[in-house]
Amino acid sequence: MHIPDGFLDLKTWVTLGAVSAGLVGYALKRSSRKLGEKHIPLLGVMAAFIFAAQMLNFPVAGGTSGHFMGGVLAAVLLGPSAGLLVMATVLIVQCLVFQDGGLTALGANVFNMGVIGAMLGYYIYVALNRVMRGNPRVLFICSFVAGWLSIVLAASACAVELAISGTVPLGVALPAMAGVHSLIGIGEGLITALVLGFVFKLRPDLLDIEKI
Amino acid sequence: MEHSFLDKYSNLDSLIHRLDPRVKIISFLVYIIFVVLTLPHNLFRFVAYLTVIFMLILLSKVPLGYILKRSCIIIPFVLLIAVFIPFFKEGEVAGGYSFGTLRLTVTYSGLWILWNVSIKSWLAVLAMITLSSTTRFPEVLKGFERLYVPKVLIMVLSFMYRYIFVLIDESMRMERARRSRYFGGEHFRQLKVFANMIGLLFIRTYERGERVYQSMAARGFNGEILTLSHPTLRRNDVLFLVIFLASLVMIKIGRV
Repeated sequence: MHIPDGFLDLKTWVTLGAVSAGLVGYALKRSSRKLGEKHIPLLGVMAAFIFAAQMLNFPVAGGTSGHFMGGVLAAVLLGPSAGLLVMATVLIVQCLVFQDGGLTALGANVFNMGVIGAMLGYYIYVALNRVMRGNPRVLFICSFVAGWLSIVLAASACAVELAISGTVPLGVALPAMAGVHSLIGIGEGLITALVLGFVFKLRPDLLDIEKI
Repeated sequence: MEHSFLDKYSNLDSLIHRLDPRVKIISFLVYIIFVVLTLPHNLFRFVAYLTVIFMLILLSKVPLGYILKRSCIIIPFVLLIAVFIPFFKEGEVAGGYSFGTLRLTVTYSGLWILWNVSIKSWLAVLAMITLSSTTRFPEVLKGFERLYVPKVLIMVLSFMYRYIFVLIDESMRMERARRSRYFGGEHFRQLKVFANMIGLLFIRTYERGERVYQSMAARGFNGEILTLSHPTLRRNDVLFLVIFLASLVMIKIGRV
């Protein structure tokens, strides 16, 4: 889902770049106000954690393997602003060091995977949590749905951006991207839910740290 | 520890390697913007941009084969666009195939779109690979810092870079332990083992973050970043920047 350079037209990448830069700036201010100087090492190691977790491949049916994005996981563990910052940091390093995603498309990629994938995913998780309060499997179900939706929505946003740029026809690309990623998203949702379940079993206190 | 898989070749010595990171960042950013804003029908300009980047690669002494191999990273996305090309209906038809009742046609405008994204993303990725294989990542960060990117973001990025190696080593150790003890099993169970690894990695990372912060606080860290180096642009840096930008502008306004 990392869009390379040249796939988006001027208005799309400039707009999304400005939106993402604004939101990242806001999140930076928010996290430094809440955590003080402590947020710098924490966000740094957490970004490295998401990066390392993305490098572990899990088997998917038919001999292929996939890796997960981790947006909702980061946001549920640390909070929406920190989730966005962690994802933005990972994407910047992937762009600069691995050329995974273009430089002009960086804003769009941060928007898809950080703003939609992590921030929006977090609010979906919180909203579901409120609705399903009392259910014994609430953690599993909410994080699964939020993880799944984050992938589907991020992929849809990617398709819409490409369509606005005139690179793909919207009518075909949107259902195709959303359809394929609704399958990929199952893996993301399951892993997000299982990881949170594991952390809850081992260190429930870590799920209660202040969300930023 | 595995160090070499990041910014390989960035410790060579060449004209490009010696340039100030600021100069390189600005040059490559402007280059990519120029490439992205070129109209797809301007074949001459793409050839000229390609020549420019190949000259830089030659000057940098980074093996061309390595750069070309790494540039394959854009192929999946180009293929994704290629899949949708038959669905562009407008414009003159270039050819078509019939599968039973389903008829796919490819129009010239569709092919232009495919050409447009392929050449632009390829040129841009060549530029980015050249940047990252001629500049060590800490240098890139320093360059961005001096270009007024917020210092906090730079700090977070440099922390991440520092701990990537540690955490990748840690996750590889866990993966090795999993492989040597675990012999498959049904799908969901496999996924669960995998998730437990990530969960454990998170807990260890969080605790590591706490320890790192404590040791920084013990040494007097108060959120401010102090640096000793005050770099100045040398003659070569300015010369390179002027020549590079001038040649981009010449390509932009030049006609054949």
